[in-house]
Amino acid sequence: MTRASVVFVVDDDPSVRSSLKFLLSSVGLEVESFESAETFLQRKPPDAPSCLVLDVRLRGLSGLDFQHELAARNIRIPIVFVTGHGDIPMSVRAMKAGAIEFLTKPYRDQDLLDAVRIALEQDRARREQEKDLTDLQQRFDSLTPREQEVISMVVSGMLNKQIAGELGTAENTVKVHRSRAMEKMHAQSFADLVRMIEKLKGPAKKAS
Amino acid sequence: MANGIRELSNRHNDTNMLGYTELELYHLRQIDATYEEDREPNLELIGELWEGKRQHFQIEKRYRRKDGTLVWVRNNVALVPGTGGVAPFLFTIVEDITQRKEEESARRYTEERYRLVVETASDAVISLDESSAILLANPATTRVFGYAPEELIGKPLTMLMPEFLRKLHENGFKRYLATGQRHINWQGTELIGRRKNGQEFPVEVSFGELTKDGHRVFTGFIRDISERKQAEEMRKQAQKAIQTTQAELARVSRLTTMGELAASIAHEVNQPLTAVNNNSNACLRLLANQKLQPDVLRRALEEIVADGTRASAIIARIRAFIKKAPAEKNRLDVNEVIGEVLAMMGHGFEENGILLQSELAEAIPPVLGDRVQLQQVLLNLFMNGVEAMTAITDRPRLLWVQSRIDESGDVFIAVRDSGIGLGLEADRVFTPFFTTKANGMGMGLSISRSLIEGHGGRLWASPNSPHGAMFSLTLPVADGSPS
Repeated sequence: MTRASVVFVVDDDPSVRSSLKFLLSSVGLEVESFESAETFLQRKPPDAPSCLVLDVRLRGLSGLDFQHELAARNIRIPIVFVTGHGDIPMSVRAMKAGAIEFLTKPYRDQDLLDAVRIALEQDRARREQEKDLTDLQQRFDSLTPREQEVISMVVSGMLNKQIAGELGTAENTVKVHRSRAMEKMHAQSFADLVRMIEKLKGPAKKAS
Repeated sequence: MANGIRELSNRHNDTNMLGYTELELYHLRQIDATYEEDREPNLELIGELWEGKRQHFQIEKRYRRKDGTLVWVRNNVALVPGTGGVAPFLFTIVEDITQRKEEESARRYTEERYRLVVETASDAVISLDESSAILLANPATTRVFGYAPEELIGKPLTMLMPEFLRKLHENGFKRYLATGQRHINWQGTELIGRRKNGQEFPVEVSFGELTKDGHRVFTGFIRDISERKQAEEMRKQAQKAIQTTQAELARVSRLTTMGELAASIAHEVNQPLTAVNNNSNACLRLLANQKLQPDVLRRALEEIVADGTRASAIIARIRAFIKKAPAEKNRLDVNEVIGEVLAMMGHGFEENGILLQSELAEAIPPVLGDRVQLQQVLLNLFMNGVEAMTAITDRPRLLWVQSRIDESGDVFIAVRDSGIGLGLEADRVFTPFFTTKANGMGMGLSISRSLIEGHGGRLWASPNSPHGAMFSLTLPVADGSPS
């Protein structure tokens, strides 16, 4: 059974930690709390939409360094910062590195809950996007090499006749490959197929 | 051997004057014993004697002794005519003048040396007679004053002085000649000189006096010290700049200390406050949904109480820390401390368009206090006053600081402003974390009151009339001071 969502609280002050857990769970959120960045990192990454409520001033790894560490490990979890005495450079640094919100203690509880909702929503959207992409990739991988070859040529704008000429087969054979590939990819239309292939190319392009 | 030296009169035991034996002298011609360079004029004169052009002559010349050394002589030479078989001969009286010649040479050398010193000196060297007229000026005078020496000879010394010094010099010089009393030091006195182009410049003057043939001559060295003065001035300015910077640094470090204290207090106290808020808000939310279980509520309330206690413990700890902070109590003049803090404020008043008015009573007895702590309190009161007036545009921004002895004999200091004022509950400003400022911590006045109470004094606030606030403090006079 997959959980709806989970909020991770990292704060070295026990009463802040437990009261935060209490506040977040009072609105029906599932909460796990940690006393340090290090203990959080020992936990295996969650498979549900999640976010971090992170104190800037922590013993050991500071909140801002922790944010860096997560990025370095490619753990893309949205972060809501809370701090006892924040200054502008600190908040600028955190926000530039992708933080959702930077709250100064004592904050309005609604501000914290709003920030947590936004963070969870963002993580959910990201996870869905990633899941779509994984599905798409699986479908593409299920195509035969010849089918992959044919649809790459199709989406690049070549006519069936040209593809047949290029591959040295009959135009009808190309049509068969093309319709099977469309079916396997669950593409509703030619335009749909083009979008799918672009999506698959997208991240690959970025990675290169 | 008509030309040999036959006889040498022995008035000065001259036999040995040249170091020759009698026999050697007999064969020696006078001219041969004469120093080579002196022979030519000597021979010419002797020639004239033989030719009958003159009866006798006198010559100063050098002989070379047998040992090669020279001896200065003055010879009186006459031709004795020949009579009765005796051939005419030259009669010479030889006078040894070596000593006189050496003295002359030494004197010339000394004079030359002094001349060289004066000619090459970089200072102007000027000699005066008893009427203060210039007798002599060296080449450096031109460089220093712009006048060629010949433009100065015979002129009064006062032409090298600015107008305002001339009369003083004339009177002083006359007085000195009459009474011997000097009104200025003659060695290294700094005066003002005046160049040919009218420019006035600082000089250092040293004079000496000597009497020659019954007349007094004064010789002075006059040094152009413009550059030295300029360097001194620059050094003074640099020194002043350093002092200003140090005062500024002291001010900044005071403020930083207060700021750091405030920041750490903020963090410490915010933790329990945050926990209290979280727990309370969670209970409110559960209550609204009728989901609040009694045991959950109890646990939340217990935590709230614990965090409340923790927050007040932190404040108590800070107060204790401030009270315990090693106060160094010395006898202090509060006016002096006020002056120091005003210096620390520096341009703070000017920049904020604030008019400062201080009424500091004279002769206030000293208080026993910690200079830094009192500075902190006063600085805090001044800063509060300045900040309370930043929004004021419809009336003058006035800050008064006053010190006096009050009715009970304590030292009383008041800081008043024409700012926004404190409202009705003036005394609330001393409550920790009470603030009317957007970025205030609300700790300054609370700490200030603790510091003054630690000195056995009081600090209170009251409205100022017609606008603004007045902060007053008293400090007991140090023991042993008349009060």
